[in-house]
Amino acid sequence: MKGYRKYFLNKVLWLLVTFVFAIVLNFILPRLMPGDPVAAITAKLAQGATNTTGMQKVYQQYAELFGTNKPMLEQFILYIKNIAHGSFGFSFSQYPRPVVDILKSSIMWTVCLQFPAIIVGWLIGNTLGALAAYLKKGFDKVLMPVSIFLSNLPTFGMAIFLLVIFGIGLKWFPTSGGYGFDLIPNFSLKFIWSVIVHYQLPFWSIVLIAIGGQAIGMRSMAIYELNADYVKYSRFMGIKDRKIIGYVFRNAMLPQVTGLALSIGTMVGGALVAEIIFSYPGLGFTLLNGVMGQDYPLISAATLIITLMVLSANFIIEILYGIIDPRIKAAQAD
Amino acid sequence: MKRITILLSVLVAFSMLLSACGTAATATKAPATAAPVEAPTVACVPSAAPVAAVDSAIAAAVKTLPRNETLYFNGQQWGSVVGWNPFSTSMNNAMAIAQQDSARVIMFETPYLYDMLDGKQYPLLADGPWSWNSAMTEITFKLKAAAKWSDGTPVTADDVAYTWASNIKYETNAGVNNKDYIDTIEAKDAHTVVVKAKLDAAGKMINPLVVAAYLSGNYVMQKAWIQKLEARACGDATAFKADTAEDVVYSGSYHKFFTDDTKAIYVRDDNYWGQDASMFGKLPAPKYLAHAIFKDNAAGTTALQAGEVDVSQQFNSNVQDLWLVNNLPISTYLPDAPYGIGASLPTAFYNQSSYGLDQLAIRKAIAIAVDYPTIIANAMTNQSATFAQVPRSLMNPTPGEQALYDTNAVKDLQWVGNDIAGAKALLDAAGIKDTNGDGNREFNGKELSYIATCPNGWSDWQAAIEVVASAGKAIGINITTSFPEWSVYQTVVTNWPLPATGYDILMMWSDGAGPTQPWGRIRHLISSEFAKTTGNWNGNWGGYVNPAADALIQAIPTETDPAKLKADYTELVKIYLTDIPSFTLMYRPQSFHTVNESVWTNFPHAGDGTSPAVPPLDLTDGWSIAGLYNLTLVTP
Amino acid sequence: MKHTIRQVFHSGKFLVGFSIFTALLLIVFVYPLIIKNAPLAIIGRGTFFPPGTYVNSYDTIGSTQYTLMLDDAAAKRIASKLGDQERLGLKAWLVADGIPENQIDISDTVKLLDLWVNHYDPNKELAGMTYAKLQYYQRLDASLEGLLSIKGVSIAVKNAQTGALEETQFVQQSDYVNISQVANVRVLPLGTDNFGRDVLTELVKATGVSLEIGLVAGIIATLIGLTLGLLAGYVGGLMDDIIMFITNLFTVIPGFVLLILISFSIGQDKRGAVTIAVVIGLTSWVWTARAVRAQVVSLRNRDHVNLSKLSGHSVVHIILADILPYIASYVVMAMILQISSGILAEAGLSILGLGPRTTDVPTLGLMMNWAMIYQAQILGKWWAYIPVLITIALITFSMNLMNTGLDQVFNPALRED
Repeated sequence: MKGYRKYFLNKVLWLLVTFVFAIVLNFILPRLMPGDPVAAITAKLAQGATNTTGMQKVYQQYAELFGTNKPMLEQFILYIKNIAHGSFGFSFSQYPRPVVDILKSSIMWTVCLQFPAIIVGWLIGNTLGALAAYLKKGFDKVLMPVSIFLSNLPTFGMAIFLLVIFGIGLKWFPTSGGYGFDLIPNFSLKFIWSVIVHYQLPFWSIVLIAIGGQAIGMRSMAIYELNADYVKYSRFMGIKDRKIIGYVFRNAMLPQVTGLALSIGTMVGGALVAEIIFSYPGLGFTLLNGVMGQDYPLISAATLIITLMVLSANFIIEILYGIIDPRIKAAQAD
Repeated sequence: MKRITILLSVLVAFSMLLSACGTAATATKAPATAAPVEAPTVACVPSAAPVAAVDSAIAAAVKTLPRNETLYFNGQQWGSVVGWNPFSTSMNNAMAIAQQDSARVIMFETPYLYDMLDGKQYPLLADGPWSWNSAMTEITFKLKAAAKWSDGTPVTADDVAYTWASNIKYETNAGVNNKDYIDTIEAKDAHTVVVKAKLDAAGKMINPLVVAAYLSGNYVMQKAWIQKLEARACGDATAFKADTAEDVVYSGSYHKFFTDDTKAIYVRDDNYWGQDASMFGKLPAPKYLAHAIFKDNAAGTTALQAGEVDVSQQFNSNVQDLWLVNNLPISTYLPDAPYGIGASLPTAFYNQSSYGLDQLAIRKAIAIAVDYPTIIANAMTNQSATFAQVPRSLMNPTPGEQALYDTNAVKDLQWVGNDIAGAKALLDAAGIKDTNGDGNREFNGKELSYIATCPNGWSDWQAAIEVVASAGKAIGINITTSFPEWSVYQTVVTNWPLPATGYDILMMWSDGAGPTQPWGRIRHLISSEFAKTTGNWNGNWGGYVNPAADALIQAIPTETDPAKLKADYTELVKIYLTDIPSFTLMYRPQSFHTVNESVWTNFPHAGDGTSPAVPPLDLTDGWSIAGLYNLTLVTP
Repeated sequence: MKHTIRQVFHSGKFLVGFSIFTALLLIVFVYPLIIKNAPLAIIGRGTFFPPGTYVNSYDTIGSTQYTLMLDDAAAKRIASKLGDQERLGLKAWLVADGIPENQIDISDTVKLLDLWVNHYDPNKELAGMTYAKLQYYQRLDASLEGLLSIKGVSIAVKNAQTGALEETQFVQQSDYVNISQVANVRVLPLGTDNFGRDVLTELVKATGVSLEIGLVAGIIATLIGLTLGLLAGYVGGLMDDIIMFITNLFTVIPGFVLLILISFSIGQDKRGAVTIAVVIGLTSWVWTARAVRAQVVSLRNRDHVNLSKLSGHSVVHIILADILPYIASYVVMAMILQISSGILAEAGLSILGLGPRTTDVPTLGLMMNWAMIYQAQILGKWWAYIPVLITIALITFSMNLMNTGLDQVFNPALRED
């Protein structure tokens, strides 16, 4: 247990240090972008104004409000203070809407789209890959090329194909929106069904590509394991195939689990393409608009959330790894 | 172990820093967070607008919008609705708030409605036409007795006066734009409004056109509600304009029903005063106006094709394919090209301080070499009149403006474009030749090289700029394109001096149709009032100065003799087409207007027999709102 | 070495991938030599011309006219204007107008048109007819004019002096021209895009540029990843921790967001193709570094390495001579994957509007971007975006096949029995 404690402590420390640096980076990066967002907001307010002599005053007002006329360090301290109070400030591009409000409404959609898609893609992909490694011959020969092809289609390609074929062509699924164009959110069966139906195309556009990638990875890992010495030895010893397979896949699964952690961590920003093509509500598009509108608070907040999720997911996986993989305990012991 | 100690110490140091700031924070709130905020120096505390709980319950109870009671829109609202405050320009509430020449009046109303098809103003809240006094210094108009607010109280002249006073006091756009032209607005009695114009030293009105335009371009708000808002904002202008105004009192026919990230829905007020015989005599046909929020044009067009959108304000490229090829019941105002009524003139401005662009020969050569038919066919997919159909000038293609100048007098100056040979001859005659054989001409020894630019993402403009650049190549001037992001573009272009490189030929908009046009457009294009200024959202971004033009622009608003007016306008067109400080690239409709007749029919179209003619402004702007009353169902 | 190469080329998968890739490269290099048209030249006035052969109408009139007497010519001519749908449309109007249904036979063209001409009133608004439908019938009526006539058409030119039209030629309905004799014929196998550019020529050039971007991005990413991975894996200790820390930072900040931020910051005017490639390379080296490090760590304690250490060779020498050759195969595979992901990253950026400048060079992502802005996928203009998608898929597919083939050669366990 001693070796394990050392491992655990090491991981926690690096987690905290990375987190600190990540916060600083998340703050600095958007503000490195050229252009002055307050000027952009002022200009937007001035649109349609034929007399802009008052604009300088407005500019000052907003610079004061958003604190962009203060030195960077002061802004950073302000930023940290606000986060500690749970407020991310006001969005520049959607003023006077607070950032928390914007994130709250879009994050649910993104998480609900991405999380099941990643898990389902992971499960199906790994199962298929493992089967291919185990069954070999016919199944493998078909699965390999198909998986390679699917995993290499760009996301937007898959999304457009699905849209054109199933949405516009066959009209089996709706082409845009999170729920029916004539529905108002409520808890009726009709609404829930509409959400599910609108969910299909974006969901499958992510899953199909994920399946391809996972299948290939799992297949390689599984083949490595299946050819390992202990497998051959166990076979000679007469141990049942089913029992051996249990061990094989448990070993092969480890790198895949790391990949899963990473995917879950980055899922918050990942559905951008699907959101644009299917007009699906979510955080990706909000983030893109934030970047285009130089909306520092929004960008910093969104990237902070992504950072937190990746770090936590990584951390949990590494701890789990330590528990599952005895080699780590052993390595720490010496 | 050493490593761990280092890490621990870093962490401890950082947390100490944090806690130090933390203790300081509890004393004063960060000034970066604005209203609602606790500003200890002001006696009253600005608060946020209350959200009516009843509304959300009603909305949730409806569950599904009946298709044959709802009119669906696209192309106006591209993000979530932020608020309902007409005093602010950042509310992002496209369907309800748009104070412009043809103001959007579904929720908030103006005294008059502008009809861009005949150039007249028709009364809405007002009763009968407005009139000048004999000295031509004041406008008087009456308000309809039937006009009422949503809370039942009548609309009075006091409301009009107080709205103007608030616009001035809190420096809203409406106030800032008009304060140089309107002196005061007073209530002579409960239903009579007097608008006093600002006078110049000679006692004449400075600009009667702008004063008249105010009557159809700016909302009237209820005095009692404004006072409530003022109290809430504690008199602070920023808080006043940032208030989300969920409890706003309106006089229009529609109001908020439900908004979220995916749609904005407005519901008809069945007690709307406009059903009185003195106005429309009935209620508008659709019970709900709904607008789904699409991420881009393509998604909106898909919905239009599927019949999920009835009225589309998007630029649908090749819109005619929707009915010619796909056989859908979709149509535009005109059945053939240009499909809509051109109203504004997107223009390419020459940066007068760029090397060589002060030479008329170079400006003219580039301008006449551009392939305008290709711009109109490719960039606008024929949704614009060609320059052969409507020869270039400073006026838009509407018959009203075209009649204001003498086309024959300037016929020779109105080039059609694509004149590569003529452009080359011009340059050769001016001695601007290619001396070193690299394919590019030099002027006084220095090679001519320009960057043509427009904001990134405005696809039809980008396509047009590409055509301009290829014209340059054809005549031996090196023109390349650049598409900065809109937020960068706007901050650069609206401030003089322009950067040394990157902004030689820049594309910007011009005014559309309105009561002050074409004067307003001409002023914004070539008046030296705006040349070489900062914070300039008005025009003349190239820095062109011409005192003769200025004098004419100054004189026109107070000119009453039609013959003299025509002569003045013709002279301005002549100056513009001779000096070429900028050139029009295409004609653009005021709004795009495409309709799908799968559920509703009897939309406005050319020759539909309505009188006054209902303009194709998506049934929401100016006189176009009358279109909502004419709609019928395809299958009743 | 030679033996390895022979094995590589025997692998089925590698061969297939390699041939697809080389075919693409050949096309990219050879096509511009044969067809010398500028890829970005705007040749069409109008958007999205469908694929096909475009014959100059003016030259057709001036070419030699041959008379061919073909039986079905008249029927084909009529069918092109009056298909089944149009006939049903005519019938629907006539029925709504009050003509009894049994009097209308849609297969009898002459009688149908006769009824139509006698009863159609363009301004009559039948019950329940939308404005769009009204316009439809007006267009249909206009297109049917003179459908049954067997006369030819006159070509007339305005007299320069009098301004009156004078007939110069008469074209019969049985006149044909031989395409090879027409002066101006242009084949556009993939039609034109929204700018009016020839899609095929543009596509070939765009493939070249995208491959170049992918190559630059891939090489940069691999070099960075390789160097960092080698240092981290071999030297270990503090250097390992620091490099892993930097790698973690890059992982934690989403790569694509970083890419968007940097691309936006550079600004449109500086976004050349190579600049974008460098930016992509600088943000995607992470997993290469990790993978290389893992390999090097397992190699670190091998006998030959220990031997070199004992012999007193410098660190650099050990890394180059003893470690690098063993991971060479892995690095080659990593580079192939980096190249293909670089191409995809550029396409992704361009779709968002953050890719290279439009007028300089076309790239695959930019072609997709413009096709989507002008709504090609909605309007059914498949030639503007499907060939681009297929090309992207082919490039990445072929590279991955090559990769899998190489994998099988270097890891015999993965070979199929």
